[in-house]
Amino acid sequence: MSEQIQENSQEKEFSPEESLQLIRSMISKTKDAVAVDSFYFLFWGWLVFACCAVEYVLMVYFKYPDHSFVWWSMPVGGIISGTYSARQARIKRSMTYIEEALSYLWIAIGLSFFVLVFVNIVSEAWKTAFTYYILMYAIGTFVSGKLIRFKPLVIGGILNFILAAVSIKFNFANQLLIGALAILISYIIPGHLLRIRYNTKK
Amino acid sequence: MFKELDPILHSQLRLAVVSLLIGVKEAEFTFIREKTNATAGNLSVQVQKLKDAGYIEVTKQFKDNYPQTTCKITPKGIEAFEAYVQALQQYLKVG
Repeated sequence: MSEQIQENSQEKEFSPEESLQLIRSMISKTKDAVAVDSFYFLFWGWLVFACCAVEYVLMVYFKYPDHSFVWWSMPVGGIISGTYSARQARIKRSMTYIEEALSYLWIAIGLSFFVLVFVNIVSEAWKTAFTYYILMYAIGTFVSGKLIRFKPLVIGGILNFILAAVSIKFNFANQLLIGALAILISYIIPGHLLRIRYNTKK
Repeated sequence: MFKELDPILHSQLRLAVVSLLIGVKEAEFTFIREKTNATAGNLSVQVQKLKDAGYIEVTKQFKDNYPQTTCKITPKGIEAFEAYVQALQQYLKVG
């Protein structure tokens, strides 16, 4: 079909069937253009998972008072993730509506995390911070999964809505464990599955 | 009576470009060239014709010191594409 386009591009005459076939083939080519990068899910997933696990160990086993210092890795992660996405934007040659919607969704979620950090600092809300964090993961992964039609993300998102509700009943130390579980099922597992799907497609 | 097929769209490469742009928000010239497998010269000419018809918007800018051309379909282009597909359906129903 592609070679045909080149040869016949100056010709005006081609049948309605051929027209329809051409439209169909071009539209199917843009379908593949929605490439959702598993990098973000894996990078943030493992980083948050590690922070939850390390903070839990420091707090519960070592009784270390400044256990929350692990979260300083978040701004560092933000810089790494931002640099990565700036580099990706440079090599990207097309933008679909779904990709645009996804990027605004995650920008909004990123901003929500900033607001929540502020709220945690000025109030006692940090004690139940993971309830809200898990709710954010739920929204992000559920909507992303629906937009790119990827079930593991949708399932991870739905389970996180449940975990967010459950987590409110637990103290902060246990919330850390629930947070780790939430990120495992909504980011890490779907992230790895997304990577596998991408590699097999290739 | 058959509707006349829009002559601007009833050309293989121009129809290919518009069909591609229907599915994306915007695409670079090199992306379109790769997907349609057209030569740069031929594609330039057809893109210009689509632009003149008001079906697509073409933006030229520099990205990392390289010139970059981005194409985007206009509301008029979407309308024309829809009318073209409708006319095609009419042909196919009878044929």
